[in-house]
Amino acid sequence: MWLPLLGLILGIGLGVLTDLEIPAVYENYLSIAVLAALDTMFGGIRAQLQQVYDDKVFITGFFFNIALAAGLAFLGVHIGVDLYLAAIFAFGVRLFQNIAVIRRILITKWEEARIKKSENSSESS
Amino acid sequence: MKKKTTIHITVISFIIGFMLAVQYNTVQSPKKVQTTDIWEVRQELSDEKLRHSELLTQIRQGQETVRQYEDEELDNPEAILTQTVDQLQAAAGIKEASGPGLIMNIGPSEELIEYGYTVEEISPQLLIRLVNEIYRYKGHYVEIAGQRLVHSSAIRDINGKTTVNGVPIGKVDVEIKVVTETGEEASKLYNYLLASSFMDEFFIDNMLLTVEEPQPSITVDAADVEIRSTYLTEYKGD
Repeated sequence: MWLPLLGLILGIGLGVLTDLEIPAVYENYLSIAVLAALDTMFGGIRAQLQQVYDDKVFITGFFFNIALAAGLAFLGVHIGVDLYLAAIFAFGVRLFQNIAVIRRILITKWEEARIKKSENSSESS
Repeated sequence: MKKKTTIHITVISFIIGFMLAVQYNTVQSPKKVQTTDIWEVRQELSDEKLRHSELLTQIRQGQETVRQYEDEELDNPEAILTQTVDQLQAAAGIKEASGPGLIMNIGPSEELIEYGYTVEEISPQLLIRLVNEIYRYKGHYVEIAGQRLVHSSAIRDINGKTTVNGVPIGKVDVEIKVVTETGEEASKLYNYLLASSFMDEFFIDNMLLTVEEPQPSITVDAADVEIRSTYLTEYKGD
């Protein structure tokens, strides 16, 4: 569990230290891409916890979602409709749902573990 | 968790972290396009220099006061305190203040009146602009038609009448007194007002603004308004 966290910290460190900046025009695309990436990430964690995780789905979902979001934003800019809002809305809602599911699963696991522990202790005594 | 899965998630979180950091960098430092030329930069620099020297003057004055306190602490502490209080009262407008300065008059433009033009109220906006410019050119204390301007003074239109401190000022023959720190500042202000567009601005309203020569001593009255303070209360001791 700590390896992904290390990856995240490493990525942030590298990004901050390299001082890399993108042109302001593409700022919107990157923010949407970040949102899509976060969504995929939490989706992956949820799938893992629900034991339906699939490598192919996760990897393709990651890149496809980013591309789709950026493409939608790009299309929106060119036809004058704020389509990126659609992406933000969709990803935002899913992000919240995923996090809620993760939270519930974790709570259930924790409670199960606690019950088991108390049973163990009562048995031993 | 399988090893492969962990590696995948790690790589993805690395990418996410990198993207976040880049986004953060981009949002934090929006690139400003430098469109100012050397002359504007010099101008800004000279403004800042001026501010610098003003601050230094203030610091020197503060240090002077401290030194005076220290010197006279043993002999006569009250005198120096009274002096400070006097200074503060003059600055706040509770006490009359005098010093070098100049007097301005706003009157009707005779030739226009002869042709039947009417004189309107002096526009508050114009008056506010004039006062702002006076302050900008180091006018310390200002009095308009007998009304001393303090920090809470308002120049505004009340029911069609232009008022200062809530008191209506006349349509014509309004006298504006300005007290400056030094005679040099008074003459600078005088020259600026002569060169400014204020005379034309008043002429649009059929009025004439006359600026008199700087005088070595001008006295402005104390403010007639009650100065309210939200955070301070008067100490009613002995």
